[in-house]
Amino acid sequence: MIRSDNGYFGEFGGRFVPEILLPALTELEDLFFGLRDDPDFWEEYVTLCQEFSGRPTPLTPLRRLSKQLGGAQIWLKREDLNHSGAHKINNVLGQGLLVQRMGKQRVIAETGAGQHGLATAIMAARLGLEATIYMGAEDIERQYSNVFWMRQLGSNVVGVTTGAQTLKEALDEALRDWAASVETTHYVLGTACGPAPFPELVSYFQSIISDEIKEQSQRQMGRLPDEIVACVGGGSNAMGAFGAFLEDHEVALVGVEAGGLSLEDGKHSVRLSHNTGETGIAQGYKTLFLQNDDGQLGDTHSIAAGLDYVGVSPILAYLSQQGRVIPESATDDEVTEAFSLLMKTEGIIPALESAHGLAGGFKRAREMRPDQNVVINLSGRGDKDIFNIARAFPQREWTEFLQREAARSTELLAQKRGH
Amino acid sequence: MFPAQYDDLQIMSHAVVGFPSLEENEKAIAGLAAAGVKLIELQVPFSDPVADGHTLVNACYEALKHGGSVQATLDLAQRVCARHPEVTFILMSYLNPLYRYGLEDLFEQAAAAGIRGMIVPDWPVEEIEPWLPKLDALGLAPILMVTPNTSPERVAKITRASRGMVYVVSRMGVTGHETQWGEKFQNYIAEIRKHTDLPLAVGFGVRTADDLEALAGKAEVAAFCSQYIEWQRDDGSEVAAQKMHSIIETIPQA
Repeated sequence: MIRSDNGYFGEFGGRFVPEILLPALTELEDLFFGLRDDPDFWEEYVTLCQEFSGRPTPLTPLRRLSKQLGGAQIWLKREDLNHSGAHKINNVLGQGLLVQRMGKQRVIAETGAGQHGLATAIMAARLGLEATIYMGAEDIERQYSNVFWMRQLGSNVVGVTTGAQTLKEALDEALRDWAASVETTHYVLGTACGPAPFPELVSYFQSIISDEIKEQSQRQMGRLPDEIVACVGGGSNAMGAFGAFLEDHEVALVGVEAGGLSLEDGKHSVRLSHNTGETGIAQGYKTLFLQNDDGQLGDTHSIAAGLDYVGVSPILAYLSQQGRVIPESATDDEVTEAFSLLMKTEGIIPALESAHGLAGGFKRAREMRPDQNVVINLSGRGDKDIFNIARAFPQREWTEFLQREAARSTELLAQKRGH
Repeated sequence: MFPAQYDDLQIMSHAVVGFPSLEENEKAIAGLAAAGVKLIELQVPFSDPVADGHTLVNACYEALKHGGSVQATLDLAQRVCARHPEVTFILMSYLNPLYRYGLEDLFEQAAAAGIRGMIVPDWPVEEIEPWLPKLDALGLAPILMVTPNTSPERVAKITRASRGMVYVVSRMGVTGHETQWGEKFQNYIAEIRKHTDLPLAVGFGVRTADDLEALAGKAEVAAFCSQYIEWQRDDGSEVAAQKMHSIIETIPQA
């Protein structure tokens, strides 16, 4: 796994936080640095992932789809089969082990699509911790099913109504909570961003994905894959899928960002691939941000709430600058097309975030030879996107069902009040 | 001019550049100066102000819609520094807008405009240290923050790099909520005094005459910011300045 130079990856990374947060970050870093080379700690983590989340997740060949596209053999790393339905749980379970060692009783988290919030809510319930999850009010509307489950699991979900009300604002609000609660609370940052040591720490736990891909590809393909493709929001699933392969230069690593509606300002979340992102320092770290000339962070758009983020992992910014990671993007339309194609050809329902990886991966596989192999990290499952997908493919029967369900639900509430 | 150590308590207040508008900023600052405020922070609005509570977050959001920016702040500074020589103006900003402007340029322009100090909450001491010779040459004082959970070693490091004043964050959390000024707080102040002869500016939770009374004789400066911005937001700059004048009258003098 990649190691930072005092929190930096090339020029990116660092720790630019209000002084009040510094002791907690230092404490976390000391703890993490003391554990990360300890094989017993890694074993404890892997065992927890096996017992609780069903790891290792399979590497599934897409035989029918590969044949249909006529290029490379496509394989999916099935992070969607994790408990909670996405790779986010890996990092959360790992940080849970750290929380137990620190003896803190409360956790907070930011969430975009809600998968990280859901994973945190699950971990908190299992360990008996109090949890507060910050989520942009806009994202709450887009991912209400995850909000429903977080609340059922006992977490306090707080809607953030500042700015564009998405992941960026949720992260700001989590940092504000942490400034007041840092002595008793651990901030479970969900992606490979933010102040050091988070980018390194989150990538470390997520690297279990690429460890498994490496072993599985040797067994199932007889060699390493030619390419690994992952979607990039903050960058945690991409760092997870790439981590163990950074030194294997014969394996191309491709990160697919959210091309949204167009490359116009505010219509996408592309930071790496079209020179749209510029170096900046915000939210605790230095990376490529979408921002204006005055250094104000910009608005983003993606059909996938989990990719709708203004910054990107400093590790990916560095690897992309070095040419080790190839940045690509997929538009909302390409994504819904790839989504349908996977569902109808292979019977797998992907998350819209992960469908960006599919769109980018399918496009590349078409140009490759049948004796080559592409692994796409299917970072999450699509059940949570039922409302968004229904909106992308409007159908009368779905709308009519929603109306009937709303009527039933209203009636139930009225009855409950009546008693 | 920054106060000297153990001077009577004075107020530092605040303008968010562009809130409620650039024109109103000038009137509000004139009002503060007339009310007797000797230290004023000019805050560059930022899209993601993580150390601020909702009052300043919302003021930033409004300010950005009304032309607030680094350049607007420098332009405003140029005018108000010339007009109010009795007031010491301090640039307050998050790091990114300054970084995008170009730090070296920014420091030179700010000093040339008449700015005397700088408060940048997400700019850690390690990153500031290499700039100290430049800042000293320009007479631009980095006012660094210490917090209740800062270790003694770090307090030493931070106070060594600070110029003009040390900003004492009164409690855990963000701006805009209440603070208790009991024995714990006094011990905290006493610990910081062991490391520095600089005057102390206490901020976060200074909202009432009672707060000022509690701080008199303990700190040289009280940062009276979120409450002032709330007055400005709810009652307009003129009434806010009157309220500021009344509250300054209540400060006990030694």
